[in-house]
Amino acid sequence: MFGYVRPFKGELLVKEYDAYKGVYCQLCRAIGDHYGALARLALSYDCTFYALLALNQKNASVRAEKKRCTCNLMKKCTYVCPANGDGYSEACFHKAAALCVIMTVHKLRDNIEDESFFKGLAARLLCGLSGRAMKKASADYPFMAEAVQRMMDAQHAAEHAERVSIDACSAPTAELLETLCQELGETEADKAVLGQLGYFLGRWVYIMDAADDLPEDLRKKNFNPFVEKLGLSAYLGGDLPQEQRDAADRECNAVLNGSLARMRPAVNLLPEGEFTGIIENILNLGLPEMQREILFLHIKEKKHGRSV
Amino acid sequence: MADPYKVLGVSPSATDEEVKDAYRKLAKKYHPDQYADSPLAELAGEKMKEINEAYDTIVAQRKNRTAGGYASAGGYGHVRGSGRSGFSDVRSYIMAGRIADAEQLLNGVPVESRNAEWYFLKGSVLYRRGWLEEAKEHFTRACQMDPGNPEYQAALNQAMNQRSGVYGGYNPNMNTNVGGCNTCDVCNSLICADCCCECMGGDLIPCC
Repeated sequence: MFGYVRPFKGELLVKEYDAYKGVYCQLCRAIGDHYGALARLALSYDCTFYALLALNQKNASVRAEKKRCTCNLMKKCTYVCPANGDGYSEACFHKAAALCVIMTVHKLRDNIEDESFFKGLAARLLCGLSGRAMKKASADYPFMAEAVQRMMDAQHAAEHAERVSIDACSAPTAELLETLCQELGETEADKAVLGQLGYFLGRWVYIMDAADDLPEDLRKKNFNPFVEKLGLSAYLGGDLPQEQRDAADRECNAVLNGSLARMRPAVNLLPEGEFTGIIENILNLGLPEMQREILFLHIKEKKHGRSV
Repeated sequence: MADPYKVLGVSPSATDEEVKDAYRKLAKKYHPDQYADSPLAELAGEKMKEINEAYDTIVAQRKNRTAGGYASAGGYGHVRGSGRSGFSDVRSYIMAGRIADAEQLLNGVPVESRNAEWYFLKGSVLYRRGWLEEAKEHFTRACQMDPGNPEYQAALNQAMNQRSGVYGGYNPNMNTNVGGCNTCDVCNSLICADCCCECMGGDLIPCC
């Protein structure tokens, strides 16, 4: 997962913003408690969303608590902690923490394969250091480790298939999130809703990542499913002309809209809980805003000082 | 039955207007149009029934008017049983939600005898699986092979509308993505309404 699943801050209520931050901080703490201080680096917005979704599923009992920040001792943060003896909310944070670790380690291993020896050195080092945390997380939630491994294998197969398609390439990530979200439901109906939500969220995340990386992948001649779909192989190794770039952005945006349209029914059917407002904000406003920032405002490139 | 006020999320002291407003909001949320071909259609239908019943109960209790709004949440989807279909078995599988069986039958059809209907049905199968891009390509192909067919056209229109951001997502032609309604929305909605009318045999905008 890649940090695309965030709330749209402008439309959050102040109390929702506080709750979001509290869950984020508590997840950071949970990672530290279960998998060691170094594993905290794996903290991500995506996994915070997963924690929120899990907490909301059964109206977990939580309370706000002011404590010192784990990283900056001078700062005090408000944490959203599991209420005393509430095993369910403890489990939610534990599960999200394990997901952070497993996803990050897989991402690191992926980078090692892609990069040259020296560039992959940092990833190799981190990967070695995180071996224990990874083992522990996999032992805590074997279904998670299995699902991620299955995703990695299927991804490899889809990217090396004879006919590359957006649908086939995004399916492994979509199915991974389908499995992960489904697991949070209890009844068949819950599982159906969460499964659909997960599938199209995963599809969206994969396609967003591919669209975001398209210019760089073209320059570096890396694999990207949009190269074949949009017929851009002539531009491999260079920059896209402005006109093609705009057309590509619009096409990527349309593909992403398709996924969000299919996700909407599942969002409507989520249970009403303490965090429903934040979850709806993330899915209905945060994701479209991400499309806008990345595909139309090119915020990342401006940050890095590259001309657009 | 659950407390009808709880179902609609209003307090028993709410005014008639507030009840109606809450009902409208929920009815929009669970309206079958949004769930076309979604495996969640049945769940949404149940919710719709629940809020319809709650609203009817409240209205009856208050003895004001008879209930308006949406009468029932019947099934809605692209694929319907059709008497003249060459693929009636595939259609019945799709309608029963047996997507894998339908796909297996479709894949068994030799390439040379794949007609417009085959492409439409294959597109529907892909759509249900979430393979939206290939579904769109199949619908396009079906429309090219049989341009006048309203069934295929409706499926393609929906895929195109979803991509344009009508059902959520980001539309670059709109200045803001937080509420509001500009001229572009008005045109889009009119075109949508026209498409809907046309597939039911009517026509809203005669020139298109």
